[in-house]
Amino acid sequence: MEHYSLKINGNVYETDAEPFESLLDVLREKLRLTGSKKGCDEGECGSCTVLLDGKPVLSCILLVSDVREKEVLTIEGLPQGGEPHPIQVEMTERGGIQCGYCTPGIIMSAYALLQENPRPSEDEIRFAIAGNICRCTGYSKIVEALQAAAGTPIR
Amino acid sequence: MTKKRGLGVGSMFYGIGYGFNRADIGSAYIEMADDGTTTVYSGACDMGQGIMTVVAQVAAEVVGAHIDTIRVVAADTTSTPDAGPTSGSRATFVQGIAVHEAASDLHDQLMQTAAGMFECEKDELEAHNGDVYLKGANAPIASLAEVAARVHLLGGRCASWGWHDNSTADVDPETSQGDAYASYGWATQLAEVEVDTETGHVKVLKIVSATDAGKAINPVAVEGQIQGGAAMGVGYALYEQHILDQGVPRTDSMAFYLVPTSMDVPEIQCEIVEVFDPKGPFGAKGIAEPATVPTTPAILNAIYDAIGIRITDTPATPERVFQAIQEARARGEFED
Amino acid sequence: MAQPEQVTSAAQSGPYDWIGSSVPKVDALDKALGITQYVGDMQMPGMLHARIRWSGVPHAVIRGIDTSDAEKVPGVRAVLTAGDIPGVNRYGLAVQDQRVLADDKVRSAADPVALVAAETEQAAEEAINKIKLDLEPLRPVLSIEDALDPTAPAIHEGGNLFARTTVRKGDLDQGVRDSDVIVETTYRTHLMDHMAMETESSLAYMDPTGVLTIITSTQYPYRDRRQIAPALNLSMNKVRVVQAPIGGGFGRKDDITSEIHAGLLALKTHRPVRLIYTRQDSLIANTKRHPMLMKFRTGARSDGRLTFVDADIYGDTGAYLSLGAFVIKKAGIHACGPYDVPNIRVDTHTLYTNNLSSGAMRGFGVLQAAMAHESQMDQLAHRLGISPIDIRLINTLKPGLATGTGQVMDEGCGIEATVLRIKEYMESHDLRFARS
Repeated sequence: MEHYSLKINGNVYETDAEPFESLLDVLREKLRLTGSKKGCDEGECGSCTVLLDGKPVLSCILLVSDVREKEVLTIEGLPQGGEPHPIQVEMTERGGIQCGYCTPGIIMSAYALLQENPRPSEDEIRFAIAGNICRCTGYSKIVEALQAAAGTPIR
Repeated sequence: MTKKRGLGVGSMFYGIGYGFNRADIGSAYIEMADDGTTTVYSGACDMGQGIMTVVAQVAAEVVGAHIDTIRVVAADTTSTPDAGPTSGSRATFVQGIAVHEAASDLHDQLMQTAAGMFECEKDELEAHNGDVYLKGANAPIASLAEVAARVHLLGGRCASWGWHDNSTADVDPETSQGDAYASYGWATQLAEVEVDTETGHVKVLKIVSATDAGKAINPVAVEGQIQGGAAMGVGYALYEQHILDQGVPRTDSMAFYLVPTSMDVPEIQCEIVEVFDPKGPFGAKGIAEPATVPTTPAILNAIYDAIGIRITDTPATPERVFQAIQEARARGEFED
Repeated sequence: MAQPEQVTSAAQSGPYDWIGSSVPKVDALDKALGITQYVGDMQMPGMLHARIRWSGVPHAVIRGIDTSDAEKVPGVRAVLTAGDIPGVNRYGLAVQDQRVLADDKVRSAADPVALVAAETEQAAEEAINKIKLDLEPLRPVLSIEDALDPTAPAIHEGGNLFARTTVRKGDLDQGVRDSDVIVETTYRTHLMDHMAMETESSLAYMDPTGVLTIITSTQYPYRDRRQIAPALNLSMNKVRVVQAPIGGGFGRKDDITSEIHAGLLALKTHRPVRLIYTRQDSLIANTKRHPMLMKFRTGARSDGRLTFVDADIYGDTGAYLSLGAFVIKKAGIHACGPYDVPNIRVDTHTLYTNNLSSGAMRGFGVLQAAMAHESQMDQLAHRLGISPIDIRLINTLKPGLATGTGQVMDEGCGIEATVLRIKEYMESHDLRFARS
């Protein structure tokens, strides 16, 4: 076991972990930040997507030892002043959520996109979430919700 | 031109519920607390498709409450009654009626007490969004919370339960003749595809789904299920395949078993058709499985329309389509 | 039977306050915030982590299972095999042909043979890999054709043909005589996975009143309880099954998945036990969509009216039935599609093989049947020079007409309306078939 000070959602978390543990397992099992989901644990489904220094990464294939000195943002860190982020609101209100298991990963990928590209096209939105598998929605309502969050026209 | 486009349709019917004499029940408890908030103990599991929301909508409608005052307790053998499985596109159709029954009885209890409070007959009263009105009046005479507090103060019953049996008789064992299901879902889909005749790759450009929901209790939820069902149909028709080698799975990772991504699923246009079903709650029926079934035949028929070749084995992978094109070329039957 | 007076009261017409309103789902905001607790998000004090050792081979006699090395892995608290099951080592949705843990034979590569509970997931994984299986291979039955071979070994007592159903209506010979065109094609479908984004998962613990409580990702807690209690030799009122938020089901979570295993380990260790399938576990084990072989012959008159359907449907339900016989019976009942067909012969055959098991999956046999009957419809349309839309409109069921199984339609029959809606869509968007 080694000791880690992790910067997550603007806070510093102190924890002991094995260096070979994934960031996802540390978030979920040690820090009890369970919003990031484990859908495959092999970097294929995107449910574990978090932001590392502003870039979307798959936390299930990232070692905890590789995130020292970096800023991690998880789904729990998105609300500001107790209010849900607009992406979270639009996903809720426009039917972008069914079972909800892919939802945190989708929202984090979308958040990263909108930080870089505040008014993305539909193709850019679809590309940004192409690594996030959703089995329930067929993606249409997710795309709509993200267009609404970006303030771009909805098809 | 190496890319050819085609259109295809697929229709289907789907027996709602379990059918042929399999247990097919719904049930729920309902109670209103002193402050007018309602809890529905609904035994129907919500996998994300939205039965908890449908239950809340039915309860709010029938009790006359505001939906934000309804809490739905998820299925639990200790706290909710047995409502059967959530499968067979049966939850709204069967559980919707059980909740309707429970909520109707609770509504009656509340109106009975309100009638006593205001010295009128209960049939002269109605409730909407948490308020009680004399029928037709614009201003409420009381809130449901006030009425509920009164019921509890008087030691009255402010709870009920509903139960609904959707079971049918079995079909004849020799001929299968009989009323196999209480009702059927109906759907037709249109698929537009583009087939690359150099690679065999099929791209679905568009799906239009006309799905009979009976009555869409929550239209956005209905559309979401239609779109998700069609996406699963796209996967079945074109991509997804469990490959076994001597009975041992070789596709035991998401790296090898491919489900459609946001780049693979096209625009899915939902055309909700509402043919009132007299057996369903508010005329509604299930749509979860009718959403999935027509997609694959529509895509296969569209592939035929595009290239004049009928794919008879699923999935229509690039390898399979390309091989079929090559065979047709060899026979001189393919128009490049 | 449904009680008409209840139905009438529920089937009222609007206007409504809430019906027909797209209110956000009651559980959606919590999911968007990431605060919904799925089973895998839950922990309990003292909780152990469980893993399953699968057989890995399709058909074999079990000569021995050596768990001694697994038991020595630090942190391991239990290694269980079939002999540790306190109750009946049989369960299943329609027939009890599944073993909680394999005893006499292995019937598929996804048979569970041993369970481990350990202080960490790593220890549990290390332990399952140290279990040594001594298996004597048997000839496997790997296809529908294999299962129909009378010389193939029987996977269960009673042989590999589990059930046959028959649909008969009218006079097939007359239907053939009435036909101006007949199309005959064999269709084959494949094994499909549900791939719910949340894998199968359960958390089991003994509550303070002595009730074994299993929080699980399930589509039906009551039927789970019906199967869990006898296997664990508990009375049903001492077993509580709680549906956790479900990360997708699609039919897979109709079956018992992780529930009995987690419950058994909690009983044996007196500790809470969390069993989460890995994605690999999920892809290997549990029920899938049935591969089917479907031989269809369909006739029509020159005016497009269907004259007959003559079909054989063979379904590969794998090593265990689950709901397979119902799935395949449903495929037979739906084999003629939403059409008025006067003469019908459909036989269905539910077959055991040593492949992965299939059961309920969104579509429940009707998807496979529709793939065949709709391909037939288009073939007839092309042969007759009728558009795919028109041949459907000519044949769709309408109120007063009967399904292939003789069920007379009431006013809730919406198929014609859906075809017409697609026809209108095509016309308004100037969409035309390339070949008709």
